[in-house]
Amino acid sequence: MPVVIFPIPQWEESLTLFCVILTGVIVVCSGALAYFRYVRMVRPPVGAFNTRDVVILLIVIGVLPFVYGWLPDTAVTCILLVTFASALYIGYAPLLGQVGIWLGIGVLFGLNIWSSNHIMGTVAGWDWWYAQQSVVVLLGAIAVCNLYLQGGMKLRHVAWMSLGLACYDIVFASYYPLTGRLIARYITHPLTPVIGMRFGRVDYALGLGDLLVYSLFFVAAYKAYGKWAATIAGAVTVVFGGFATAFVPFLFNFTNANLDELVPAQSLFGPAAFLTYLWMKRHYGRERTMAEYLASQSSTAPAPQVEQAPAPEPASI
Amino acid sequence: MFETGVRQFRLALGIALRRRLDPRNVERLVGDVLATLAEFGEAGADAAELVEGPTTNPEDRLEFTNGSLRRTAVRLGAQSPFYARLFSSAQIDPAKLDVAGLRAIPVTVKADLTERPGDFRCTDVQAYLATRTTGTTGRPTEVWLSRYEMELWPALGALASVLRGELRPGDVMQVNLSSRSTVALHQAANACRLAGAGCRLLGIVPPETALESLAEGGATILLTNPSYLAELVKAARRAGMGAGDFRLRRLVSGGEVLSPSLVRAASGMFGVPHVEDPYSMTEIVPITGRPCSQGHMHHDTNLGLTELVDLHTGEPAAPGALGTLVITPYFPYRDCTPVLRYDTRDVARCLPDEPLHCELATVPATSLVLGKADHLLRMPGGEIVTSRQFIEVIESLPAEPWPARYRAAACDGRIRLTLPASAIAGYSQAEAVRHFAAAGLDVDLDIVGDDQAVSLRHTRSDMLETTFASPHALVGA
Ligand SMILES: [Zn+2]
Repeated sequence: MPVVIFPIPQWEESLTLFCVILTGVIVVCSGALAYFRYVRMVRPPVGAFNTRDVVILLIVIGVLPFVYGWLPDTAVTCILLVTFASALYIGYAPLLGQVGIWLGIGVLFGLNIWSSNHIMGTVAGWDWWYAQQSVVVLLGAIAVCNLYLQGGMKLRHVAWMSLGLACYDIVFASYYPLTGRLIARYITHPLTPVIGMRFGRVDYALGLGDLLVYSLFFVAAYKAYGKWAATIAGAVTVVFGGFATAFVPFLFNFTNANLDELVPAQSLFGPAAFLTYLWMKRHYGRERTMAEYLASQSSTAPAPQVEQAPAPEPASI
Repeated sequence: MFETGVRQFRLALGIALRRRLDPRNVERLVGDVLATLAEFGEAGADAAELVEGPTTNPEDRLEFTNGSLRRTAVRLGAQSPFYARLFSSAQIDPAKLDVAGLRAIPVTVKADLTERPGDFRCTDVQAYLATRTTGTTGRPTEVWLSRYEMELWPALGALASVLRGELRPGDVMQVNLSSRSTVALHQAANACRLAGAGCRLLGIVPPETALESLAEGGATILLTNPSYLAELVKAARRAGMGAGDFRLRRLVSGGEVLSPSLVRAASGMFGVPHVEDPYSMTEIVPITGRPCSQGHMHHDTNLGLTELVDLHTGEPAAPGALGTLVITPYFPYRDCTPVLRYDTRDVARCLPDEPLHCELATVPATSLVLGKADHLLRMPGGEIVTSRQFIEVIESLPAEPWPARYRAAACDGRIRLTLPASAIAGYSQAEAVRHFAAAGLDVDLDIVGDDQAVSLRHTRSDMLETTFASPHALVGA
């Protein structure tokens, strides 16, 4: 029996999108923070995340959509498979062991590939696909977030990266809507790097990149300055990454707030994150290094929230 | 982090393929280590592999050694006139060389280098810097080095030092070595530059000057020779100084025999837990040896091959036997004036044939260097007394007569030991003889005036460099 779907008001669409983003943000941020606090990744003997790594990441992120656009879908799937498998392996092998991690990856990917090919065109089918899709993407985001942060990425790096991504988002969304077209073309294929839900005829989704930047910003603020800074970072993320992104179409009365028309989430979040970082730097002083963070955790006394020590940073962007 | 990975890969590839390494790449890796230490406080797991080399398995190590020997010999055959001649006259194919075959090649001795220095210069390299040996034995040898070597060695040295925490940003290294020790000074200054540390190259100046700069200049690392270290301890005692006056965290003293008595006094005076006593030599740079806590000398296996060759047979020394260290630095670490099987004449004892249990147990070892082969005292009964035996016993006399000044000779089946009078101060001659006997040395003492002390045995501290401030100061017993 056909179900007639009536269009819903735009504010309701925005509110639903906000709820989806908020759920994603809460899960990824709390997951990444818990991982950061309780799991130590094996890091390479030499190497700390630095400014050049930010530049390299931005270049890769800038080039990747063109590569994906040029490659056939099967090749994109293969790249995504390798990328997600690496991320999950690095992130969860220390917790699950060799057998456990490959078993886990096999089950997750198998389900994902199976359901990608067997979506029945129903809302329930879509939601099932989105649900296990989201699990892979959230786990991946938490792993990569920790790979970078436990590798020495600082709040300063995250702030600059957010700013760079904001520029990309504006360019890509306004002048060259490549990402939207890619998502529209690739969605329903295995391992599409988004989380989301479908309500009615509308997809409410959030990209892996956005999730990663939000979790990086939140946990980097925690590592750098402690829990109050993380609270502020979390609030900025919810307001500028979630609320503003969801309600911009409503406030500016976009004709179509359906996520098939991509909202450039980073263009709002990037400048806000960067300004927050500048304020924190001014207010709290130098960021804690990973060594200082770990020392503060191992001491029984409450973690020194901030060091006002004027120790100079070796380099800045 | 991405770049660091690429740099490590490039270094590993260069080492594996035995190609010339890029000194800039190694220098940047030093910067990466510093950044890692700044962020994490320590290097990650497996960092030791970067400096110690990955191979602890004997079979892999043998394969690595054979490959390195072949690569080195092939280049020498093509570029070094001396070794091209040597290989052809001994009918040796360098491309088929291995550790066993190496023994067929006669050792290169100091006289070869001194008499025909030009023959050792490789024809495919532009020489840059000449350095002369500053040892106290015989005519100096001149060794030419290329720019590549002078850039690579400090970079590799700095990489190892920062990874081991031996050199840190903010350290101040004071170097009291002869100002003519060009390579050592260059190495120290450039390693400090790469590590973000300060470096004060002072030379063998009057000990009071060096002490003042140690204390007030806030040096954290002192690099010197044992004999000069002895002068520093004595001068500090005269000035009534103590551990509280210094900020030293490391004291490195090599190039001569370092006695336990001097180690105790110097560690107490300068407030360091121990005195490091590395082994190195101008002719065989950049190969070094490191002593461990159990008194072995462990020899670098990554940059070169160290053999312990029996003093009489020329075959590998048997466990317990004395041998001379014969060293072959590998290409691409030695470039301009390379040597193959260089006989250092530094004598060490072969360790018993049983597994080691020290912190460097995976690195091959001998005893500490016991002295120069030419300074061994051979007794009629076949017993051999080494310089180290004499120096350790003399320096443990109550007068603490560092650096030991003595002359020893075999006379009617007994050891005739000449000492300056001040060496046995506080003892009668009979008590002094008993002191030596307790250490297993039956000696007849011959006591001379202190004015003859310096002529009994020369030490590196005798190469005093005067200053305008104290032009007449002399260092001596
Ligand atoms: Zn040992």
